[in-house]
Amino acid sequence: MSKNTGSGDTGRSLPSSIALHGALILASAISVVPLLWLVLTSLKPKDAWISSDVRFFDRPTLDNYTYVLTETSFPRWLLNSVLVAVLTMVIGVFIAASTGYAVSRYRFAGLRSILWLLLVTQMFPVAVLIVPLYNLLGSLGLINQYPGLVIAYLTVAVPFSAWMMKGYFDTIPTEIDQAGQIDGLTPFGAFYRLVLPLAKPGLAVAAFYCFITAWGEVAYATAFMTGDDHYTLAPGLQQFVSQTRAEWGWLTASAVLITIPAGAVFLAVQRHLVTGLTSGATKS
Amino acid sequence: MRRTPLAGVIAGLALVLAAAACGGGDDGGTGSGKSVDPATVSGTVTYWDTSDAAVEGPAFKELIAEFKTKYPKVNVNYVNVPFGEAQNKFKTAAQSGSGAPDVLRTEVGWMTEFASLGYLAPLDGTYALENAGDFLPAPAGSAKYNGKTWGVPQVTDSLGLLYNKDLLKKAGHDAPPKTVAELKQYALDVKSKTGKTGLTLNVDAYFLLPFIYGEGGDLVDAANKKITINSPQSVAGLTVVTDLMESGAAPKPAITDSYTAAITALKEGKTAMIYNGPWSATDALKGSAFKDRANLGVAPVPAGTAKAAAPTGGHDYTVYAGSKNLDASYAFVRFMSSTAGQAKIAAKLGLLPTRTSAYSVPEVKNSELVNTWKPIVDTAVPRAWIPEGGQLFEPLVQAYQGMVSGNTDAAGAAKTVDGKYRAILKGWS
Amino acid sequence: MTVSARPETGARTRPAAARGGRRGGRDGGRPGRRSGRAGSARWYAWAMVAPVVIVMGVLVGYPLLRGVYLSLTDATEANVGRTIGMNEIPATYGFVGLDNYLEIVRNGTFWLRLGWTALWTVACVGLHVTLGLGLAMLLNRRLRFRGLYRVLLVLPWAAPAFVSTFIWRYLLNNDFGLVNGMLRATGLPAVHWLDDPTMAKVSVIVVNVWLGVAFNMVAMLGGLQSIPGELYEAARVDGASAWQQFRHITLPMLRPVSQTVILIGTIWTFNQFPVIFLLTRGGPDSATEILVTAAYRDAFTGIRDYSGAAANGLVILGLLVVMAWAYRRSLRRHGEVW
Repeated sequence: MSKNTGSGDTGRSLPSSIALHGALILASAISVVPLLWLVLTSLKPKDAWISSDVRFFDRPTLDNYTYVLTETSFPRWLLNSVLVAVLTMVIGVFIAASTGYAVSRYRFAGLRSILWLLLVTQMFPVAVLIVPLYNLLGSLGLINQYPGLVIAYLTVAVPFSAWMMKGYFDTIPTEIDQAGQIDGLTPFGAFYRLVLPLAKPGLAVAAFYCFITAWGEVAYATAFMTGDDHYTLAPGLQQFVSQTRAEWGWLTASAVLITIPAGAVFLAVQRHLVTGLTSGATKS
Repeated sequence: MRRTPLAGVIAGLALVLAAAACGGGDDGGTGSGKSVDPATVSGTVTYWDTSDAAVEGPAFKELIAEFKTKYPKVNVNYVNVPFGEAQNKFKTAAQSGSGAPDVLRTEVGWMTEFASLGYLAPLDGTYALENAGDFLPAPAGSAKYNGKTWGVPQVTDSLGLLYNKDLLKKAGHDAPPKTVAELKQYALDVKSKTGKTGLTLNVDAYFLLPFIYGEGGDLVDAANKKITINSPQSVAGLTVVTDLMESGAAPKPAITDSYTAAITALKEGKTAMIYNGPWSATDALKGSAFKDRANLGVAPVPAGTAKAAAPTGGHDYTVYAGSKNLDASYAFVRFMSSTAGQAKIAAKLGLLPTRTSAYSVPEVKNSELVNTWKPIVDTAVPRAWIPEGGQLFEPLVQAYQGMVSGNTDAAGAAKTVDGKYRAILKGWS
Repeated sequence: MTVSARPETGARTRPAAARGGRRGGRDGGRPGRRSGRAGSARWYAWAMVAPVVIVMGVLVGYPLLRGVYLSLTDATEANVGRTIGMNEIPATYGFVGLDNYLEIVRNGTFWLRLGWTALWTVACVGLHVTLGLGLAMLLNRRLRFRGLYRVLLVLPWAAPAFVSTFIWRYLLNNDFGLVNGMLRATGLPAVHWLDDPTMAKVSVIVVNVWLGVAFNMVAMLGGLQSIPGELYEAARVDGASAWQQFRHITLPMLRPVSQTVILIGTIWTFNQFPVIFLLTRGGPDSATEILVTAAYRDAFTGIRDYSGAAANGLVILGLLVVMAWAYRRSLRRHGEVW
């Protein structure tokens, strides 16, 4: 990469080196400690979390994991969540990419304002949308159905993804599409065969963003899905923390189990995230 | 918006199918006849249970299995919905017409709201309601609204004082406090003699009611359409609470996760007394302070200057008005609320039956938990069963939080709540 | 990991200039605009945006328009017409004009909440952006363990937000929380993180900042990496100080990234429902209640106030539209083509 690296990348003095690493270590600690505490809590016996005597280790055991995996519907919730998140991701990326491309390449009135309209839809609070959306999905027979939830998530995930993709396509020279069209490709053809492959980092970010949106959403999932067989992780896990009883042992164990795959996907794509997100954001 | 043609067709189809399945005999009124033959009732009942999925759920599932043997043609779709979400989920589903259950376990406080909104099926004269005179008056009252019966009581409860006998003894008291004045004194004694906390409060509107009732106050006077939270008696009730906090008898309670904080303190032997209901007893006994089960004492809530009183709680079985399986639902409710059914649940979980007859069943008679709580529940005070009842707690809990964090005193809190109630109960004096 | 942190941008063979703030070939960017093909281009363009337009139009646009209508009535859960099984309730709500809006504006607590919502948004977005930029600049140097630092710093983004929020609620718990446990261990008095009105405000901001910094850091890091190094070299030759380089190269070159991050971040934070709801439920005594959590409470407590909820939602929408419009305008005034 052609770059930069601010000032003084070499020959840093010892004090400034210490300050730099000190700051980064502190920041890393703050970002990691809560998650570490999550792991530690999940390894304690069921009721140990609630002791006012705060300890790092307390009779470590894997009981919580065994319980969650064998005695609850957690595996089912996980499966449902994966299904919904993957569907949201695939459809969301596809829709966002084609929208972003159209807005990036064609600039007639109406089309240009679509992105802004999309942004406006994000300004209407979800809390107020729940009941009308429920009625709408209900009349389509989509309540307590995965497609219904996926559609609801698309309304959240697509606008930002489309913004990002539009910015990303802006950075891809239009000569490429033009060359394709001269070679006899339709605009669709040029988009799918030539431009999309170049946009992989951008697609990766949009995919990740769609996935995370669906993976961690609570309000719609709680309102639209009912029953152990249909729950995704967010409403499922809430069963562990009821009004009168909070099973933090189970909750933390499942949280760790959820975070590991998400974290793994994340680490795999995070290199793309840096580039993809920026070029996306560097729109205009 | 209400219903697209497609949904209408589906609903219509379902109706036809349901009617066909019922083999005729579905005349809306559905047999006040007690002569329904269990073998002929058919359909699928979706039941939303709001009980604790891990602790209570299994006992209810067992009972449902018995129902299925008695009514072989009825299929029960048991769904556990967390209590905290059930109210909103049901309301959203009920008004939309899709996704609602046939039968819901409804908290007594939600009853009138659901009924007034038309979400529930009236049960008078249906197969669901068996021997209605057998129900205890307080729970039965919770199911009535506008002269009709909208639910069948499942369990009843109230609040009592849970205490650590050992800590009270060390503080020089062999018996639990009978009045709030004693409560304060005993709590201070515990503090000075053992170094532990005397009383731990739970910052929740429901848990505030015994103090307000104790001084003769109430939130509203439904019969006369009067808002009474700002009455001298109610303010006196709130003052009792601020006084307990300020005197150190009940040190500043936690606001976030208040319930858990209180019961945990009791379990760990860090506090001598808390207010809680019968549902918490099993949990409390798991604490290190109660390795000797006999150390846990349960008493009626201490009396204020007017009386000793705690609110009536509990749950009712209700049938969704839009259910496509009314007959099966009625049969389900009838079975679940029967004397035998209630006795089984009481024996297993210690939840209090709502039928007088259930208390004479031997296993209920011998249940320690039931015997402890029965007298407490008998003196419980019914809340105002008005449709707006569900809205009254939110302002109160906010005011309670304000009192705890020192933002406001009792009089100020009462005044604030009074103002909010006036916005909710338009036209009340 | 350390090495892999950079090359992919370079791998995309694209002139660096094309990525700057202003893009040259922009206006030529209209394939198919040659005469005669404009119609088909239009067709293609609309076909490509159709899925979004349909989905968003039906699922958000329709409720939004209906919300506008409802907000002008006194519709509640009790008076909208409905038939539920044997119960038939006729519609009895009516048109009330702007009453719902007037009621909101006249209500003192609305203005109090708006103030806190604004403070919350500014504090969160401000800290997100500054901390994100600061960390990105630290990471954008050649240093040891860079890959490790980056992974650790980005982790909070990987955990589902509702899980992280629950953990924070536990960490900050008065009695069982790690934070107070540590304070007690060092002999300091415990702090009522979520129970004291002022501390609760601080806590919700801290948690939201913790949740959001990773995203901002990643965005800023990408922005920093796309700034051509030659600019800094030239500046150094001219004897510019580190601060001058930051002020006159880094900040302007980052603007495209920071603008988007600030705009989107403001919308998200303003409407950030889960964090506050899961942490404090808006308490204690509604100290941390922002407009969105209040709207939720109004919409869902007791007999639902459909018209009031719609009006609340539209007021929030209106505030954000005005904000976005003003932001865009001020950027224009500063000569940004955005």
